[in-house]
Amino acid sequence: MLSLGSVGAKSTKPSFVSYVTPEEIKLEKEPPKKLKHPDLLPGEVEFCSANPILKYTQDDLSQRGVFGTLFCTNFRITFISDEKSQEETTKTFKNKLYGENDIPLMFVDHIYGVYDEKRKLITGALVKNKYPSKIIIHCKDLRVFQFCLTYTKEEDAKKIFQGIAHHCLEEKSLKCVFAFSYTGTPSPEMQRKRETILFDSPEDWTQEMKRTKANCRLVTENENFELSQRLPKYFVIPSALGDLFSYQGKGFPIWCWSHYSGCALFKASLPPVTQEDGDFQKHFDIMINAVAHNYLYSAKTEDLSESLPTIQDIQQSYNKFKQFFLIENSTDFWLSDMKWFSSLESSGWLDIIRQCLQKAVEVVECLEKDNTNVLITEEEGTDLCCVISSLVQIMLDPYYRTLMGFQSLVQKEWVAGCHAFLDRCNHLHQKDKECYSPVFLLFLECVWQLVQQHSPAFQFSETYLTVLSDSVHMPVFSTFLFNSAHHRESVLKHQRQLSLPSTAFKTPFKKGFFKDETDSLKKMLRVKRLSRWMGSPDSTAAISREFYESWQQRPLDYHGLLLPCLDGPAVRVWMQRYLRWIPEVHILGGGSVAVMTKLMELLSQVQDLKRVLEQRDSSQAAKPDHRPYIQHRLLSFGSSGRLPSSFPFAYSRNRSFKPIIPTGLMQCLMLTDSLASQEDEASSFVSLV
Amino acid sequence: MLTGSKTTFKVRQMVPDMKERMMSHSSLHARGRDVLGLCCLPGECVLQRAVLVRKKLSAKEGGGWLSGTLFCTHFRVAFVPQDSQKPDDNADPVLLGDHDVALASIDKVVAVGPSRTKLVTPTCSLKFTPEELVLYCRDLRVLCFLFDRLTPDTQAVEITYTIAKTYQPLKPGTILSFQNAALGSIEMKQFLSNRWHDPNMNWFECSMGWEQELERTGASGWRVSSVNDRFEMSTSLPRFSVVPQRLLDTELKKTFAHFNEGRIPRWCWRHPHGSDLLRMASFQNNIYHEKDDIRNLESVLFGGQQLCVIVDLGEEMPSPADIQLAHTRLRTLCLGDISSSVSVPDDKWLSTLESTRWLDYTRCCLRKAAEVACLLRGGHMTVVLQEPEDRDMNCVVCSLVQVMCDPHCRTVAGFQSLVQKEWITAGHKFLSRINYHRESDKEEAPVFLLFLDCVWQLWAQYPARFQFTEDYLLALHDSVHLPLFSSFLANSQRERCRRPQHLPQSYTPVNGLRELPVGAPEEPVDPPFPPVWDWALQYSSLRRSRFTQPVSQPACPPPVLNGNLNTNLDRGWHNDGLPGSVFLLSRSTFSHPSNLLPWRSGNSGSYWKSHRRAPSSESLSGLERLLRACSLSEPSENPSTLHDPYEPLLPLLLGPCVRVWRGCYLRSALHAQAFSHPTSSCSQHPLDQLAWEVQQLREKLAQASHRRPENQTKQQEPRRLEPNLNQNANNGTFLFSSSSRTSQQQPSSQGAAHSSVIPKAQRTASDPPRPVQRNNGKHTFLFGHQQEPQSGQRYIPSPSAKLPKRHGNSH
Repeated sequence: MLSLGSVGAKSTKPSFVSYVTPEEIKLEKEPPKKLKHPDLLPGEVEFCSANPILKYTQDDLSQRGVFGTLFCTNFRITFISDEKSQEETTKTFKNKLYGENDIPLMFVDHIYGVYDEKRKLITGALVKNKYPSKIIIHCKDLRVFQFCLTYTKEEDAKKIFQGIAHHCLEEKSLKCVFAFSYTGTPSPEMQRKRETILFDSPEDWTQEMKRTKANCRLVTENENFELSQRLPKYFVIPSALGDLFSYQGKGFPIWCWSHYSGCALFKASLPPVTQEDGDFQKHFDIMINAVAHNYLYSAKTEDLSESLPTIQDIQQSYNKFKQFFLIENSTDFWLSDMKWFSSLESSGWLDIIRQCLQKAVEVVECLEKDNTNVLITEEEGTDLCCVISSLVQIMLDPYYRTLMGFQSLVQKEWVAGCHAFLDRCNHLHQKDKECYSPVFLLFLECVWQLVQQHSPAFQFSETYLTVLSDSVHMPVFSTFLFNSAHHRESVLKHQRQLSLPSTAFKTPFKKGFFKDETDSLKKMLRVKRLSRWMGSPDSTAAISREFYESWQQRPLDYHGLLLPCLDGPAVRVWMQRYLRWIPEVHILGGGSVAVMTKLMELLSQVQDLKRVLEQRDSSQAAKPDHRPYIQHRLLSFGSSGRLPSSFPFAYSRNRSFKPIIPTGLMQCLMLTDSLASQEDEASSFVSLV
Repeated sequence: MLTGSKTTFKVRQMVPDMKERMMSHSSLHARGRDVLGLCCLPGECVLQRAVLVRKKLSAKEGGGWLSGTLFCTHFRVAFVPQDSQKPDDNADPVLLGDHDVALASIDKVVAVGPSRTKLVTPTCSLKFTPEELVLYCRDLRVLCFLFDRLTPDTQAVEITYTIAKTYQPLKPGTILSFQNAALGSIEMKQFLSNRWHDPNMNWFECSMGWEQELERTGASGWRVSSVNDRFEMSTSLPRFSVVPQRLLDTELKKTFAHFNEGRIPRWCWRHPHGSDLLRMASFQNNIYHEKDDIRNLESVLFGGQQLCVIVDLGEEMPSPADIQLAHTRLRTLCLGDISSSVSVPDDKWLSTLESTRWLDYTRCCLRKAAEVACLLRGGHMTVVLQEPEDRDMNCVVCSLVQVMCDPHCRTVAGFQSLVQKEWITAGHKFLSRINYHRESDKEEAPVFLLFLDCVWQLWAQYPARFQFTEDYLLALHDSVHLPLFSSFLANSQRERCRRPQHLPQSYTPVNGLRELPVGAPEEPVDPPFPPVWDWALQYSSLRRSRFTQPVSQPACPPPVLNGNLNTNLDRGWHNDGLPGSVFLLSRSTFSHPSNLLPWRSGNSGSYWKSHRRAPSSESLSGLERLLRACSLSEPSENPSTLHDPYEPLLPLLLGPCVRVWRGCYLRSALHAQAFSHPTSSCSQHPLDQLAWEVQQLREKLAQASHRRPENQTKQQEPRRLEPNLNQNANNGTFLFSSSSRTSQQQPSSQGAAHSSVIPKAQRTASDPPRPVQRNNGKHTFLFGHQQEPQSGQRYIPSPSAKLPKRHGNSH
């Protein structure tokens, strides 16, 4: 695809400081001749490779690392160690698509080069001249890799550096995304059982309307995107709205969800303000009327772009926030430790989460307490509208708290709802920074807060959310690859082989121990209005505060309305996502994973005992061969007896240099990292209860 | 034993009538209490009552509201839920019900009206009918009661007044009346004096306790000295202390003068690797060291070891004043007081939390303890904790080290013994630090609460390694605020022993029928105080059942004797001559200041001059290597360390890992409710449920394996026309043996609950009684009818020696 060999061969001598390590001496004696090759995925093509490359483990003071070969393919950057291949102890929890030393190209967030001890951000301009002695790669899933290029041949080093920089940083076309060359076929059983509703057919929408007892109108006129390219093929509008073609170019109130009382939530993109005022007002009135007509002639509108931070604010705040977790060496981390809380606070990320949840609670209040229709608007109608409307639905509808329901919700509000994933995630490394913003991540963060506070109400666990947040950047799935339904359609039409796996969720999900009746839950909410008990409502916060309080007075019903607590200590950092790669904060054999393992152990005991009991009951002659089975089951758990608290993500395998006491004495000690495999089978951690 | 239990039985019989009398007496104050019964303590008077009150439940209790009746007595504010079961009159009195709060724990009473909130003090008057009553407690609980519209206004006003008048805010001296209200009645005194010391834990009140501890830890070279039996040597030290074996009492006596308050280095614990942990106060500097003194001092400091590391806790650790300030700030932050209307905005919460510095102090203590724990692992040295007073931070660090290193201290009994050893008998100034009497604030500092927080941090990181739960720590935390327990009502063991009633004596089991304490009239003011460990007195059995983990009790291995486990140190360290090397561990580095031991510095004694030499840099770096080697633990690679129970639990102390104890500080703050899963009685913790299920299934399995022969007999009954007599006789023996077997099965299955299933499965398969019983049945009843080849194969591994014996018995 891209010939890297043609890049100019003029070599500038890199000046670097070489740290003599024992490994280096060994290396000179016996240069490894045979190159190990990575196991390529179907359709994966290797571009270039370099050997030997030293991969530093996380602490750069020690300069300790592993030698190996660095490859760059059209899917990932991968590092293969020369040393004995580390056997995965727990293969079952491994991600099937990439291993611990793989960086899918889309995961790359920033690349830094170290030139003469100075760290520089690599941009296109720097690629031309010289290559750095060391490259540092920051990933979007917050891993940090450091590779030393000084041991390899100049030519190779240059080639690999330029290859990586080119593939990761240069603006590229959508066609170059690996998804289009991926030829892996989804397993047939996956094709068959598709429980997630994709909302790509009229039936799905009709079904959804039936489920929520909505009386709105399904629009099929946009099948060929004649109405608008920013709208999905099928969508639902209030039945009072007339001929759609007359409103072309203006927003429609699009139905999201109906409350059981009959009122519904709508979202709309606010027409551009450049329009002449009267016209705008008129159209707005029509919209409101149509919405109000849905139920009891009451409607409220909420302009999200006024009350919530802009997507640029979100982006900036997240950038600040994530810096605290992109740890290149542990000394930095220890230094940041003292000011931990205040520095977290200064990034404002937690506050943005709080604001979003707060807004969602306000909308919930309108629907639940006042039973009015709500129309949320935004300039695009596909960013914060998606966040708020999805959150509202999760809070109100227990169906969306199941795994399948949640996936359907993402399909409905985000994928079919035309959230511009391509632009927002900046998959193509476009220079235009304006449109990049982690809106979907913000949504997952908000959901995580809910899961954290009311975990028994959810079928899925935080591990699922973490994996989902990584999958956004996985260039194998088509789910998060396009800007809108039209975009998807047009790209895929020209694509000859339509080989994209259509869902991001690869493995069939096992059912958890979650109560099965959840799937067929009916809301059993009794709207009781209790007398307010404190405070005077003078601000909107106080009003929704009151709503929260009154909700709290009722006994908690996990199948009913769920509201988040938004006070200072309640909004927390998503530890699993942000701290999973930092070995210093892993609790070996502790943390919530310890409880989880214990639960699994007990559960397997229960199952075994039940089975034994059944055997005994059924057959008089008890078979003595049940014992090996028990043994076997227990061994599989026994091996994972002491898992670190970061369990499915980072293993304790090579954490032999982990200073536990952060004292002055310890700070100069060495570390090895524990970047480890990542699980794809989040489902095995479907939350208990 | 028997007679003792007889007396308790007698008292139990007696208490109800007395209680009946008191109730009728108290019914003067509360009308209609026969409708909604409050289970009063003997002698407790109900002062006021309000009906149709709703109590706000915390998230932990399930959230929502609970309606019932609110009482105010001399002793507590009690809430009785509407549908609560009628209390059993024969039950032992329990001080506090599940929804009650003692008056002495109340800090503030706030009434919320339709338009305003008001802090109610004993003197002020209420100009409105409160709709709601909020009680802020010292133990950081916030209780919120809502009056219904149907609650008579007078009741709402009156109960608010009554609570405000009786809860005694910050008034010195009133504590006594509270204590009397709770424990002062004759029945209560009688009841208390007949309660037992928990025999499972070590009370360290007699020399036996210390000897047991020496034996448990496998320490050799130490002995229990009773030189301070009458508190003549040091007023703050316990009566018994552990000192090196070779030191005579006469020699020991001379050392007391060299230490602040006479708190000489005392042995606390031995690490199984052979290091000893000691604690002491700072040296008295202005004293002349005689030769003999020096010899004794050296010997008391080194024990049998050649290397001594003094860990200075004076400088880096927070002072009591710091702790008090931090705790006050944390309180204001966490309570979210609605009456003060000063609240932290949500987005500034984290930085405000940081500025309280409470977490810093927690971290500081844990770090120091982790260092000491690593040091101890090296073996063959004494580690001496030194603090100027030896009564605050030494307690914290010394006990934390043991919690980290000794699995025994992570059980309830072990933890209680630990607190008894390192805090209560060691002379932590509980009375001044908790400041029950509110006389002067100067000394007040919640050092013990800081310790509990540290333990919680450890617990939160390694929940599976503890037998006790957060609930237990919480109960202990709350008890500290209740001025009723002898454990916390004195500054030293001496004060505790000087009390007129002399509790340790009244608590020791007495042979023969114990006479009722007739001395009551002489000292009517001082009821006998129970120790805090008498949990049955404080909490209902439901709450007590949550003190321990449902499963996974850490198995406590036998101690490794003689400490020869790990001796891979350089021999060169400790075989070079008599004067052992002394190092100072301060600010995480080792040093050897010349004035570390005052008698070794310079001109005080010429005795050691010739021998004294600069400590070699090798041994210094060796020490550091040791500390390093430990903290760089590689537990996953070395399977032996993985299973070494003495492997210290080293806490992670980085910013994101040290957390707020939400369950305690934020448990009922009005703004922070949705943290934990509700663990109300209806919905248990999943672990509980599963563990219960396993238990059930095991029992079923055990039963099933029994019932089978029984079923067979039943199936065959119609076909058989045997004489009934025979059958009955058979059944009789069968049932008997089966019932005895289930009773045997019970403890074994409980014992195996925390071990893995494999041995369990084997055990059930090869349980000795079963073949006996089966053969029994065969012989007498089923013989020749049913052949069970499988079962015969199956029970081959059972010891055959027992079979003939039981045969003989059955015939």
